[in-house]
Amino acid sequence: SLAKKIKEQKMGNLVEEYFEAHSSSKVLTSDRTLQKLRKRRLNQQTLHELLKNAPLAYAAEIRDLNEQHESLFSKWMLQLHLGFNIVLYGLGSKRDLLEKFRTSLLLDSVHLVVNGYFPSITVRSILNSITEEVLDHIGTFRSPLDQLEFITKRFKEDSSLELYVLIHNLDSQMLRGERSQQILAQLSSLPSIYLIASIDHINAPLMWDQTKLRLYNWLWYETTTFNPYVEETSYENSLLVQQSGSLALSSLTHVLHSLTLNARGIFRLLAQHQLEKKDNPSYPGLSFQDFYQQCREAFLVNSDLTLRAQLTEFRDHKLIRTKRGADGVEYLLIPVDESTLADFLEKEDEDV
Amino acid sequence: QQIQEDLNKQLLDNLVSFLSRSHSDFQEKTTKWTCRMKFREIPTAAVVLGVNVTDHDLTFRGLSDVLQDNITPYVALLEAKDCPAIKNLMQKLMGQLMNCDIEVDSLEDEDCVQVPQNRIRCSMLSLISWYESVTKKTDSGTPSKKRNSSSRHWQSPPVVVIFKDMESFTTKVLQDFIVISSQHIHELPLVLIFGIATSPMIIHRLLPHSVSSLLCIELFQSLSCKEHLSTIIDKLLLTSLFPFKLGEKVLQVLINIFLYHDFSVQNFIKGFQLCIVEHFYSQPLSVLCCHLVDLKKRVYSLSHAQCENIRRLPSFRRYVEKQESGKQIELLTNDSFLKKETERLLEDLYVYHENYVSILRCLHVFTSSLPKYPLGKQIRELHCACLENQVWETEEYESSLQLARMLNKTDLVSMLQQCVEILTSSSGKEFDKTVEKLKEFLTQFQNLEAEASQERDVSVSSQKELQKKTDLYHLQKTLLELKESRRSKKLTKFEMLRFEVVDYIDRLVRKYLVPADNRTLHEIVYFNAATVLRGHLNAAPRTALHTALNNPHRYLKNQALKCDGGGISNKAPDICIVYKLHLECGRLINLVDWLEAFSTVVMAGEEPNADAASSDQVDDIIHARFIRAVSELELLGFIKPSKQKTDHVARLTWGGC
Repeated sequence: SLAKKIKEQKMGNLVEEYFEAHSSSKVLTSDRTLQKLRKRRLNQQTLHELLKNAPLAYAAEIRDLNEQHESLFSKWMLQLHLGFNIVLYGLGSKRDLLEKFRTSLLLDSVHLVVNGYFPSITVRSILNSITEEVLDHIGTFRSPLDQLEFITKRFKEDSSLELYVLIHNLDSQMLRGERSQQILAQLSSLPSIYLIASIDHINAPLMWDQTKLRLYNWLWYETTTFNPYVEETSYENSLLVQQSGSLALSSLTHVLHSLTLNARGIFRLLAQHQLEKKDNPSYPGLSFQDFYQQCREAFLVNSDLTLRAQLTEFRDHKLIRTKRGADGVEYLLIPVDESTLADFLEKEDEDV
Repeated sequence: QQIQEDLNKQLLDNLVSFLSRSHSDFQEKTTKWTCRMKFREIPTAAVVLGVNVTDHDLTFRGLSDVLQDNITPYVALLEAKDCPAIKNLMQKLMGQLMNCDIEVDSLEDEDCVQVPQNRIRCSMLSLISWYESVTKKTDSGTPSKKRNSSSRHWQSPPVVVIFKDMESFTTKVLQDFIVISSQHIHELPLVLIFGIATSPMIIHRLLPHSVSSLLCIELFQSLSCKEHLSTIIDKLLLTSLFPFKLGEKVLQVLINIFLYHDFSVQNFIKGFQLCIVEHFYSQPLSVLCCHLVDLKKRVYSLSHAQCENIRRLPSFRRYVEKQESGKQIELLTNDSFLKKETERLLEDLYVYHENYVSILRCLHVFTSSLPKYPLGKQIRELHCACLENQVWETEEYESSLQLARMLNKTDLVSMLQQCVEILTSSSGKEFDKTVEKLKEFLTQFQNLEAEASQERDVSVSSQKELQKKTDLYHLQKTLLELKESRRSKKLTKFEMLRFEVVDYIDRLVRKYLVPADNRTLHEIVYFNAATVLRGHLNAAPRTALHTALNNPHRYLKNQALKCDGGGISNKAPDICIVYKLHLECGRLINLVDWLEAFSTVVMAGEEPNADAASSDQVDDIIHARFIRAVSELELLGFIKPSKQKTDHVARLTWGGC
């Protein structure tokens, strides 16, 4: 009971620590900012070069560690074939490990690699690549659920079809949503689809409930590699790095999520308009007056001023660009490519 | 591998059949109820299933099969995830019903229906017209077309809609569906079945009064998952059918996961499956884990290397050490002798199992009726206790024996009878004697009956004597005498017998319930790697990350990393340093200060070869490394960018140091 008591005490401490951390709204930190630091901000390119020069510490030990994990490959194969799916956790990038698994064992069989950390990935694209490349099916589906049903049917009919799916970072921003996880779980529950995934976020297991866990049928493997997350963090827009110009889908959704309902509606209007005109190469953008009219009709703004304020906010976040046309009228454009915009609108529809 | 797949399959089949059997009585109830539904309101069966949602698939599949066979061909199974809106629900429903129809019909004749599968026009009206067309066909044409007799009785068989997970449906969809279907109930006889995971209260919470008044609800209760577990353990572990056994720790892990985490029988089975895979994969001698019939062949086909493996088993070494020297040499050098010996030992092990199980059941009969259940209520607890160590050395066993010595006669007799039954039904040969002995006990008890009544007479007479005496002195004297006699009382015959029985049971226990760890060659049959199992089933990613960040020495075996806890070693990988520095902060972290602290630590590490000239270069590199480490921490979810203050990040974990 001594151990129990200690444990209880620890528990109590933990709780206290939590409240301690969140009790005072006032936070004592110094007011220094990076701006005042005399150093310039690094951009992505120079960062990469600098890191390439920096030696990786403990390379030998890390290699030992990886070899240890690699010895498990044949066991993974067996377990995959027995209906389990494998999930890897632990510190360090598991990309190289999975890549090695792929090159050493999967070269002869049909396999699909999904880069979850890629910010524009959606479940739709995963399903598309399955139907188009694995099943040689041309055609579109009205919803992911239909597509999933089709895949299920095909895999059940044809027992010779086998597919290995490797997902790097199952817990990334784009895949962690409830619906995508549901679809992936159903996909992984098919007996002839074998799934290996890696997770990194500390709260990743929170995204699965009992039903999904059942469908996934995970076997957990701790694979701490200490490899740096090179690919994974290259998409992570860190505070310390200068933002690159183009907008990614994930950042788009992020900014939009923090806005009010009306602001989102305004942006949607603009996006829809731009998509409708996407075939017209000389489309200059929506003029401010037209846009104002449309927003008014949708009850999104009540005055010229509010719309302007809203547009200023968009411009600050680099969501829109204004251009003055030949006739001196302001035209509004979203500087994002069409596919991303379409994906965004689809996602919005799902959420609503 | 092949064997193991066979085993696996055998096991799963057994389980599935068992599960469906346990559901069958409950299904029968439901089906009967569906038969006698009336047409006023929508008849609804609310089935309370418990929180182990994952197990319900099987139940529902069984249920719909039974319904399809006995009552109606029209069963639709709806899941919440397919029906985000009423439109999807209707589509799904239509699709399934028409499919059902086709399936059933195609059994009899192929060419009768070509229901167009246009899923776009799925409305209630089209559903009704479809239904009418189908039923009319049945009416007008050939009643014999439908094989099931019920549909002949019923001019219009009911359409059963099963909602698998009531809780996860959106309220609006559910309400709309109920309202719509209640308006068409005369044309379309619907029966709803709700699968409920929590409690029937949820119906009233989800549905407003106006809607729930349209339903005529009857409640059904399914078996609790704990009962499932005990039956499964009973069928799987306490039989001699499967040669593969679980060690104590592994079983404990599985049961703990079940009881403390998820109550899911499916997960328990998965764990068991994993045990089998793991055992046959890791243990080279697991080929010998088979039925007695195949044993001989396999033992003789062993290679030399495998014989060496046998010799290396710890339990075998213990066995060898106990033999005399001549035999020792034979065992360690001569392969064929070893094989013979191995075969004998494995047969012993097999016999041991059979005896073990039946004696365990006997003991369970005794202990489960004792007050306070010192050895546990369920047979699995007893099983664990027996596997853990020698059960007769535990306190609980001692106290239960003491309690058993105070049992009254009727209980004792009935228990003995149960024991006799168990032992006779068990296939072990060694129990003839035991059974006889127990039967003898029983007859003795019957004989006792007469004596006991005599005795009672005696005591009654003494009582009478007592009443006769009125003198105080005499009274005292007789009382004293009585007391004296009671103290020195020769035990009555019954009590003697009782002691004898208990002692006998005790002896049985000692003889047969030796924990498996003490048996020779138990490694072949028992799987004992509990930590591996727990790691795979019940992993803790956060703990792994924490140890890797806090104490990288665990993973990277480098002398330089070995350090006392708490302090920040400057030789650790970058991310560990950054992590430790972040642990020392409060809720918000200033990036500049963080960077400075980091560079201080790192510079201290590189001091020996610091070059004044290239300090700017080094600075840049350190800055880059810091950026990398911080973005890695962000990816791992320890921090997130904060807007509260410029150039600050917020910590998402708490505690630390």
